[in-house]
Amino acid sequence: MDLRAGDSWGMLACLCAVLWHLPAVPALNRTGDPGPGPSIQKTYDLTRYLEHQLRSLAGTYLNYLGPPFNEPDFNPPRLGAETLPRATVNLDVWRSLNDKLRLTQNYEAYSHLLCYLRGLDRQAATAELRRSLAHFCTSLQGLLGSIAGVMAALGYPLPQPLPGAEPTRAPGPAHGDFLQKMDDFWLLKELQTWLWRSAKDFNRLKKKTQPPPAAVTLHLEAHGF
Amino acid sequence: MALFSAFQTTFLLALLSLKTYQSEVLSEPLSLAPESLEVSIDSARQCLHLKWSVHNLAYHQELKMVFQIEISRIKTSNVIWVENYSTTVKRNQVLRWSWESKLPLECAKHSVRMRGAVDDAQVPELRFWSNWTSWEEVDVQSSLGHDPLFVFPKDKLVEEGSNVTICYVSRSHQNNISCYLEGVRMHGEQLDPNVCVFHLKNVPFIRETGTNIYCKADQGDVIKGIVLFVSKVFEEPKDFSCETRDLKTLNCTWAPGSDAGLLTQLSQSYTLFESFSGKKTLCKYKSWCNWQVSPDSQEMYNFTLTAENYLRKRSVHLLFNLTHRVHPMAPFNVFVKNVSATNATMTWKVHSIGNYSTLLCQIELYGEGKVIQKQNVSVKVNGKHLMKKLEPSTEYAAQVRCANANHFWKWSEWTRRNFTTAEAAPSEAPDVWRNVKSVQGHCVVTLFWKPLSKLQANGKILFYNVVLENLDRPSTLKLLSIPAPANGTELTLDRCSYQIHVTANNSVGTSPASVIAVSGDPGNKEVEEERVKGTEDGFCLSWKPQPGDVTGYVVEWCERPGDPLCDLQWKNLGPNTTSTVVSSDAFRPGVRYNFRIYGISTERIPYLLEKKTGYSQELVPSDNPQVLMSNLTSYSFTLSWKDYAAESQPGFVQGYSLYLKSKAARCLPGSEKAVLSDDSICCKYKIDNPKQKTFVVENLQPASFYEFFLTPYTSVGEGPQGAFTKVTTPDEYSHILIRIILPMIFSILLIMILCYLKSQWMKEKCYPDIPDPYKSSVLSLIKSKENPRLTIMNVKDCIPDAIEVINKQEGTRKSLTETEPTKPTYLYLLPTEKSHSGPGPCICFENFTYNQAASDSVSCGHVPVTPKAQPSQLGLLTSSENVPKALGKNYVNSLGEIPAGETNLNYVSQLASPMCGDKSSLPTNPPEPALCSEYKTQMAIPMGLASPPSITLLDEGEHDH
Repeated sequence: MDLRAGDSWGMLACLCAVLWHLPAVPALNRTGDPGPGPSIQKTYDLTRYLEHQLRSLAGTYLNYLGPPFNEPDFNPPRLGAETLPRATVNLDVWRSLNDKLRLTQNYEAYSHLLCYLRGLDRQAATAELRRSLAHFCTSLQGLLGSIAGVMAALGYPLPQPLPGAEPTRAPGPAHGDFLQKMDDFWLLKELQTWLWRSAKDFNRLKKKTQPPPAAVTLHLEAHGF
Repeated sequence: MALFSAFQTTFLLALLSLKTYQSEVLSEPLSLAPESLEVSIDSARQCLHLKWSVHNLAYHQELKMVFQIEISRIKTSNVIWVENYSTTVKRNQVLRWSWESKLPLECAKHSVRMRGAVDDAQVPELRFWSNWTSWEEVDVQSSLGHDPLFVFPKDKLVEEGSNVTICYVSRSHQNNISCYLEGVRMHGEQLDPNVCVFHLKNVPFIRETGTNIYCKADQGDVIKGIVLFVSKVFEEPKDFSCETRDLKTLNCTWAPGSDAGLLTQLSQSYTLFESFSGKKTLCKYKSWCNWQVSPDSQEMYNFTLTAENYLRKRSVHLLFNLTHRVHPMAPFNVFVKNVSATNATMTWKVHSIGNYSTLLCQIELYGEGKVIQKQNVSVKVNGKHLMKKLEPSTEYAAQVRCANANHFWKWSEWTRRNFTTAEAAPSEAPDVWRNVKSVQGHCVVTLFWKPLSKLQANGKILFYNVVLENLDRPSTLKLLSIPAPANGTELTLDRCSYQIHVTANNSVGTSPASVIAVSGDPGNKEVEEERVKGTEDGFCLSWKPQPGDVTGYVVEWCERPGDPLCDLQWKNLGPNTTSTVVSSDAFRPGVRYNFRIYGISTERIPYLLEKKTGYSQELVPSDNPQVLMSNLTSYSFTLSWKDYAAESQPGFVQGYSLYLKSKAARCLPGSEKAVLSDDSICCKYKIDNPKQKTFVVENLQPASFYEFFLTPYTSVGEGPQGAFTKVTTPDEYSHILIRIILPMIFSILLIMILCYLKSQWMKEKCYPDIPDPYKSSVLSLIKSKENPRLTIMNVKDCIPDAIEVINKQEGTRKSLTETEPTKPTYLYLLPTEKSHSGPGPCICFENFTYNQAASDSVSCGHVPVTPKAQPSQLGLLTSSENVPKALGKNYVNSLGEIPAGETNLNYVSQLASPMCGDKSSLPTNPPEPALCSEYKTQMAIPMGLASPPSITLLDEGEHDH
């Protein structure tokens, strides 16, 4: 291919023109509002990542508790874990939730679960387990921040924590150590269910908040650019 | 009704008061029974706590009593424990006793009762049991609540190896309950329909989060569990020890045992108790504790260290005298003063350990990392020590530590100081040697000296002074100053004799001088070189003692022979020494080292005594000689390798090995069979003389193939395996043949050249085209010997009229049966009449072929050609290709006409045919010579080729007929 001086000048002019019009591309316009879409996607990705992370953490922690908690078919009644936010919900109820409520429930659930998890972290004896728990707590804190970001993007206020209602890990003797282990078991189980539910929630939200096709095209173009 | 009730109460009160009065006054002796028995439980510890009092005691009365306690389980008749508890009792004193149950108290109902008796020598009359108290029932189950299932004990903590009893209490009769220990089902003992007991023996430590035990009902969502925390055995503290550094504080240390290994670590407490003072302190740390020494000069201490956790208490004891446990502080204010070249003083201070105590201090002096002096000094407060016999200009380190001199316990830490002694003048003269060369009439002296050792130098050598003293003119002195670290110098001197003084100088002074003399006579007399054998330890050299005054000997050698800077080394030896071992790390295997041994005269002049050469380790030769072969004959050849430098080999060449390969199975005399590295077999000649550089291989076979290979050998072995050189001995006669054949060929060639050059002459002489009868010697021979009548006819006399063309066919054989006569063809040259019936003028030349067989008889004649045959013969001639054929035919025919004649060759002119007719064997039809002249080519035909028709085969006899 023979490039002449004239061609080079033409290309340069074209490049300049593209650069001149770059601010006009909405997806690249940092001052413009990109909407909640990307942050919902990010939150969704984070829940999937946490799901994966929890799988290995729960395995280690339940082995640390010993049998029967690490047995695959162990399914104890939810006795002492009543204070844990429950992830399971009737399907119709879940469908009927509005975005604000859906996000609020997620935010509140993870706020509580994070507190319980920190209690778990303090109890753990081995350094490796403490490291894993601390890492997971950090990730969960990130998810909480991400949900808060989505809520802010959608204009929803963050739920205010009730004073003195900070959930804490119940001290051992009164509760019984076996029940405490059951609580830990349920905490991990509930966390797993919540992460699964959140993935569904954010997927639903993602679909709902998806921009119209034209905007999608422009977005893709911007990405391609 | 109310009135009746009031009356009844009044009556009972009156009855009670009456009874009390009776018991105090009437029922002697008085029984002392336990009263107000209360039983409480401690579920966690599985304990029953009993509390009671004895009321019937007088004021200030103290009695020894014994209480018998009975404990029954489930029902009162099932007594599981009976114990007598003795104690001193006061009036209204609350007495307590505890009992620990193996079975969790929740698992079964327990009942307790007791009775008492006075067990006091003061009142022997009261030694009888009181009545039993009523059964006090302890039933925890009833207060458990309404849960369907319970498991006990809750979260119990036991030590590894303990026995534990576990039970479940079920509220439902229908449900089957199954219990699991770490996921493994347990089988227990049914205590009652709702309670099952499991006995765990020797429980192990499993994990820090405890051992999980749980029970679940077959039906329903009921699951209950406990965690049994099994701790590791609590060990007693080890290595408990106390000491003081300042007599104010005691520091006690110990090694705690291993951890309990549980998630919630059992709190361990360490308590230090001193029995003499009765003081006790709770230690903050688990491995050490400080104890303040009392100011009342307590000397003896008896410590008890008690380690305690939830499960166990362990104690260790230590009794000691405080002054015996003094670990002094490290000395301070340590200085090294008055440092001279050989002495230094060390001063220090110590912390006092009492008014009358003395400290023992240890001083160590280090030089080059090793302890060179060690001294103990007693010190009160200030210490001082003089370190003597130090080396000048040397770095030292001095350190001091102290301990209690009266009762040694421990040394203090070292306090260390470094110092360097002052310099002193060098103590030894430098070791000097020289190398003398004569260059253009001058004497070039290279002086070498070895640097002084550290001990000899006594400081840093700054320069060397070289003083040249001309012995011929003693007043002349020349001084050279050579800065260190030079280890030699080169001097150009005239032929005069010099004495050279070398001194080493440092900042303090000058060393003694080293003297060496250079004489005008270099004295390089020829000395035979001797071989020495080196070993791993070096070269052992010895020499003949020199008569006369010898002040010493010097052995000189180069550590890098072959190098221009040969690294000259020398060794000074005393005058009584006649041998030495020269060793060096620089000696390498395979390198030839040359040693020169000098004697030093009283004038300090060295003179060469002996030369030695040798290898520290001989190696096999590194290369093989280039062998030249000469004098190759059928039976021998000579090998020579005169250019081979045997001296440059890494070992003394002791001779040569010659390997000869041949097809012969046996080796020649002087050789022996040898197997080469490639397993081939050959013959080996050993040449023992290393100076022999030629060798004749003899007794070979002519015209045979040989291969040879020559390699030198040293004491270690032979040189590298190389390629064999091939050689083939010549034939036995070939040289003779060459001597004869070559001259012959040369002669023949010469003759041929001559013949060629004189070919014309030869032709004319030997085989002219037209033979000259006059010149024919044959004819003349015949003529002279046999037939003098024969004359020679001149050609000029003959007028030709026809030419006979003879067709010669070489190689054509006629069969014996072929009888058809062939006739010569004649070409008529002259215009004659057509009729040839009569004889006409005809000249015919016929050149008779020389035929030895035919020459026995000479015949001559021709058959005239009939006119009929003429056209055809002419026609044949017109065609050139037919000419030879025709000629041959005619030629054969003509041969057929040759009669057998006399012996030898005859040359007959055709014109002389009538004369031939004289012979008896004339043809039947003789030609008419008068009319025809014929000329035929002469040629010699061998007998075999000439196979004429039957005519030639006929013998004379037949012709005669």
